[in-house]
Amino acid sequence: MKRQLPLAIIFTMGVFTLVTNFIPPAADLNQMFRNWYMGIITFFTFLGTINLARLNAERVKDRTSDWYYSVILLVALATQLFLGFYKWSPDALREGSPFMYVYFNLQFPLESTMYSLLAFFMTSASFRAFRARNTEALVLLLAAVVVMLGRVPIGSSIWHGFPDVTEWIMSYPNLAAKRGIMIGIDLGLISMSLRMILGIERSYMQ
Amino acid sequence: MSALDKISNLDRRIIFLGVALAVIIPQFILVRLPVDVSEPVQKVYDLIETLQPGSVVMISIDYDPSGAPELYPAMLAVMRQCFARNLRVVAIGMWATGVPLGQRALNAVAVAEFKKEYGKDFVNFGFRPGGAVMLVNLGRNIHDVCRQDAYGTPVDDLPIMKDVRSAKDISFVITFSMGDPGSDQWIQYYHARYRGNLATAQTAIGAPKYYQYLQTGQLIGLIGGMKGAAEYERLMKRPDLATKGMGSQSIAHLLIIVLIAIGNVLYWIEKRKK
Repeated sequence: MKRQLPLAIIFTMGVFTLVTNFIPPAADLNQMFRNWYMGIITFFTFLGTINLARLNAERVKDRTSDWYYSVILLVALATQLFLGFYKWSPDALREGSPFMYVYFNLQFPLESTMYSLLAFFMTSASFRAFRARNTEALVLLLAAVVVMLGRVPIGSSIWHGFPDVTEWIMSYPNLAAKRGIMIGIDLGLISMSLRMILGIERSYMQ
Repeated sequence: MSALDKISNLDRRIIFLGVALAVIIPQFILVRLPVDVSEPVQKVYDLIETLQPGSVVMISIDYDPSGAPELYPAMLAVMRQCFARNLRVVAIGMWATGVPLGQRALNAVAVAEFKKEYGKDFVNFGFRPGGAVMLVNLGRNIHDVCRQDAYGTPVDDLPIMKDVRSAKDISFVITFSMGDPGSDQWIQYYHARYRGNLATAQTAIGAPKYYQYLQTGQLIGLIGGMKGAAEYERLMKRPDLATKGMGSQSIAHLLIIVLIAIGNVLYWIEKRKK
């Protein structure tokens, strides 16, 4: 029963959603289920927050490795919850509120910093790993160099043709490769959806 | 250890320092570099120019602070054009942590620069969860999905929303997107059902994927990365954050190219030795 019920729900909802897309009179019923989904997905945010707090509280309790990072997470979570729900709500979302102060002065720089670290690692990796070992790698390397120059103003200062060549690379070779990858992904997605609806794929229950 | 070996085994902290200097120094030196406008960016600009005053533009804030250096300047530039043309702006967001950025941009442009009135000329509906399903519902009935704005004001009390009820009332949608949910959902679920004019601003790393949608006409235009934002600033004849960032980006790209060249020369020398 524990395995059959989820399979039955997936099958029913999967077939229903698929079929009602092609039956206009069933559109209202389809809409009702979409509204349910909106409610459920909102609840998942709450559920996710609870799980995150529980998981990290256990890490602190068990003193697992790097447990002090969990303390920081829990303190940050509690602080933002307090600032968001305290009496100045709903003005918490207006700029200048304590909630927004923390967002713009802590979360904003922290997230930006994490993402910007990519530039450092990519530069280091390009020095060590980007080698023209064969003809294909050489073509890729030359295309990358042209695109890098075409994507910055200094490129057109060096040669005015770089932006045009870059647009050509993006609009033809890049597009062809990306489209091939996308078609492959989408075929895989359709196949996986069918496998799940028909109960062949069950790894999501483990 | 020979000089070649020393360069081959260059301490990565030296490379990190080089990147830091390449980014920081141009911020303090006024470098005027020519910014050429690409066709995908020009198309976004041209489309907004054709909209009648009072038309509704929906701006979807689908990124978080990590994408802000590239997408926030683009958002400012697009908003400036919208408000300069007296278009009405409806903001919405699929990333909870990006919504304050939209609010900050609206405050900076709509309120401070153009003296526009909240609720009449623009509105911010804040974070809307649900991704693709939310967009399908949004196109059918906006009031169903956005029953109140980000501050709790009921949608029926917002004058801007009186005649904006579904996708057919929106003249143009632009999503500032850096991942999922974002442009993919707007293209595959919203545009596939409701059509209309759709464009996207993407981080530089995400932009290549969307050229296929430009070719098919599913996207009207594409603003790619900080360079795209700088192009838009040029079209608006108002250099700002992105134009200022072009110096850093130019030097950083040159540094990467030089390092790739050095790496390959060393590789070929070692290969010939063997």
